[in-house]
Amino acid sequence: MTTIIEQVKMFESGESCDEYAESFIEEAKKINKKFYYFTEFCNKSSKRGGALSGIPVTVKDCICVKGVQSRASSAILNTYTPVFNASSVQKTIDEGATITGKTVQDEFGFGGFSVNVGIGFEIPRNPHDEDRVCGGSSGGSAGITAITKHAHFSIGESTGGSIVTPAAFCGVVGICPTYGIVSRYGLMDYANSLDKIGPFTKTVLEGAVALKVLAGHDTKDSTSTNKKIPDYTKITEKSIKGWKIGYIDPEGVEEPIRENLHESIQEIKESGAKTEKITLPISDEYAIPAYYTIALCEASTNLAKYCGLRYGAQEEPKGFFDEYFSNIRSKNFGKEAKRRILLGTFARQAGFRDAFYIKALQARTHIINEYKKIFSEVDAIITPTMPILPPLIKKASELTPLQSYLSDKLTVGPNIAGLPHMSLPTGKHKSLPIGLMITADHYEEEKMMTLGVELEEKNG
Amino acid sequence: MGDSIETKIGLEVHVQINTKSKLFCGCTTEEGEPNNNTCETCMGMPGAKPVTNKKAIDSVIKICKALNCEISTPSFFSRKTYFYPDLAKNYQITQYETPLGKEGFLQVENTKIRIKRVHIEEDPAALEHAGGGTLIDYNRSGIPLAEIVTEPDIRSPEQARNFLKKLINILSYLNVIVPDTTIKADANISNSKNNFIRAEIKNVTGFKEIEKALLYETKRQQEEEVTKQETRRWDGTKTIVMRSKETEDDYGYIYDSDIPKMTFTQEYINKISSSIPKLSDERIRELTKIGVSQEDAKVITQDLFVSDAFEKIAQKSNPATAAKWFRKELLKRLNADEKQIKEVNIEALTEIIKMIHEKTITEHTGRELMTKIYDKNFSPIESIKKTGATMIKDTTTLKKMCEDAIEKNPKAAVDYKKGEEKALNAIVGAVMKETKGTAKPDEVKRIIEEMLTTL
Repeated sequence: MTTIIEQVKMFESGESCDEYAESFIEEAKKINKKFYYFTEFCNKSSKRGGALSGIPVTVKDCICVKGVQSRASSAILNTYTPVFNASSVQKTIDEGATITGKTVQDEFGFGGFSVNVGIGFEIPRNPHDEDRVCGGSSGGSAGITAITKHAHFSIGESTGGSIVTPAAFCGVVGICPTYGIVSRYGLMDYANSLDKIGPFTKTVLEGAVALKVLAGHDTKDSTSTNKKIPDYTKITEKSIKGWKIGYIDPEGVEEPIRENLHESIQEIKESGAKTEKITLPISDEYAIPAYYTIALCEASTNLAKYCGLRYGAQEEPKGFFDEYFSNIRSKNFGKEAKRRILLGTFARQAGFRDAFYIKALQARTHIINEYKKIFSEVDAIITPTMPILPPLIKKASELTPLQSYLSDKLTVGPNIAGLPHMSLPTGKHKSLPIGLMITADHYEEEKMMTLGVELEEKNG
Repeated sequence: MGDSIETKIGLEVHVQINTKSKLFCGCTTEEGEPNNNTCETCMGMPGAKPVTNKKAIDSVIKICKALNCEISTPSFFSRKTYFYPDLAKNYQITQYETPLGKEGFLQVENTKIRIKRVHIEEDPAALEHAGGGTLIDYNRSGIPLAEIVTEPDIRSPEQARNFLKKLINILSYLNVIVPDTTIKADANISNSKNNFIRAEIKNVTGFKEIEKALLYETKRQQEEEVTKQETRRWDGTKTIVMRSKETEDDYGYIYDSDIPKMTFTQEYINKISSSIPKLSDERIRELTKIGVSQEDAKVITQDLFVSDAFEKIAQKSNPATAAKWFRKELLKRLNADEKQIKEVNIEALTEIIKMIHEKTITEHTGRELMTKIYDKNFSPIESIKKTGATMIKDTTTLKKMCEDAIEKNPKAAVDYKKGEEKALNAIVGAVMKETKGTAKPDEVKRIIEEMLTTL
């Protein structure tokens, strides 16, 4: 199988970009019949030449592609066709890529298994076992990245673990950079202070190539960083010799996953780095409640705009405006979206606001400080990405909301702290992939990916 | 009995900031075809993000400083969530915990009206009810507004009017609002008779309407018993209950994390403060010191540009004469001609005022010269040289002309002698015609009267 880097070279020596894109779309359509990764297909490119020349790219449904129906996999956005490209999409087009389709997700990102797709959408299937989940919320992105035989990458998005979770369950590399590195312009917001865009690829180096294109300042997103973006592709020249890697060995992790973590620890030692067991007591206790409080408060305001008035699902207006809004919202939001809107609205109301929303913001600061302290001692942290192997779709759908939220235990910490983190496949149990999560300090993507490359090599 | 009742009024004033583009996007703030001045951001399209207009922030900081406020730093934006068709995102980006300015005051005559807060926010779209339906124009969506909130320190509708007048005067001096902008206000009113249970009158538009609404509501509260807090609206003749409320509205404010917190250094704030021009209070003080009457000074300082022009001219001529001429002639003329002070040839105006003061010309001649005051090449001195319209100061010549006029109007002379004072006007008019207005009418009148009495 060719990588993005190899394929770009083949285009340079004469292979047809257009035919390659057609061939990818044909393959993707075939895969889609069985696995349901796509909400829309398209074929959009403007020029060739550049770091991604001719590479087919797929985009999570919540990221706007001009002229292509983009719905965050929610029925409330049925028929909505953006009039502009998200900055991340524009950047890949500017580097010569072809945008080929929109990938399915949990509605607005509300889930960890991609079983909370919106009304009228199909649940995507795990590439290694169709009865199991892909992980979420960027399930479609991870799934197609795992199966395609083409050089390709997918633009995903994470709020609380939506890149690394499906990457681990599907057995691909998912990179979630520091908050603010990739512009959120054109991303349909779940939680503005937490949303991050990042790539899914088969290998770490391809992830580095993709991230290099996506990253950088954007005047259209006031929260995007002004920092100079290093050349991530240099990671293969670096070594982890002399580094200190912290690892978290959490309780309640399925045995094959725990064993896999210890294999990774061993491999790191062999590469000449020290390892040290660490704990994050504040994060352990408060990350999940703080994360859900902040995320849902923000989500409940972000989703207010969807009311059937300006775009998306509409009906003949009847009655007073609030009856009309309620009708459209009741019919078109899925169950989990409604639950999160209600919880978020509750937590920011007068009388509760100080006890929940404001407290959660304070907790976030403490969590960040705890990580900062650890990163003054270690270069990176490793943990299993998920405590469990990909569950059966049936089982995941039957989890209570609380059980479901708790499965984000390992991924929420770096997400609420805005830290770069990635998942890479480090083993298998039977046919099911196991993912390892690497977390680094803010803006230390290079370190994170250097360790990723090292572990990737060890795992062949 | 009304006299012993103490009334408390607090105002929330909304004014549009005069930036070229909207508060969070590049769309123009100019008027246009409905929904033409819009983009994904001010339409609330999914994925669009706000980018703050720095100029608008600076303008509001300027307001804060002119109203003696403390500047919040950091200051940030919040989302005020409520569902309404005019709100593109169903939340408004506004400020909650950290208004740009807080704890200021505005001195209105002898009373200090405390300013609770000054914040910046985006305007919602405009709704138009037509043909049984409602149309929405998003051109207004995202236009920057400043909200200025007072403590309930205002004691009467008259004082509220004076406060607003003063406020508008300051805002126009700062050059931060659209000229002749329509002021919008919410007012809360209560009185001692009803234990200060307050009514809030929402969204009254226009200076005069605000005062009318306050007059009505103060009177109503003095006459009626108020037992619960209410929100009312003004229909042009009376206030009507919209809803009674037990608690504050719940907008579920959260930070808008799409917009980074703003921090302002003291140096930055000082720089903005130093761009504030001398305000009218100080100018009035200065003008009265150099001999301008209080009345003239007040009129002249109503407009920054008029006031600036006056200061320039007063340096080169007699301030009192200049002030009188401004109030009695210049401002009336500008108004009648629908012109602005910046269109006036200031040098020419200075020459006219000087000649009047030095009695080289009469006010009548001055008024005639004023008709050419917008001509940039116009020189009143040259013009007078050509027409010879200098004031006749030579009494002998004037007396001779008066004698002739009496002779030519014998009937008027007889009538005047009989006691018909008005008859005098015909003779004075004849002299003025003969002199082409270069004689002082008072002087002419005095001479004729004298001649007729001694006749």
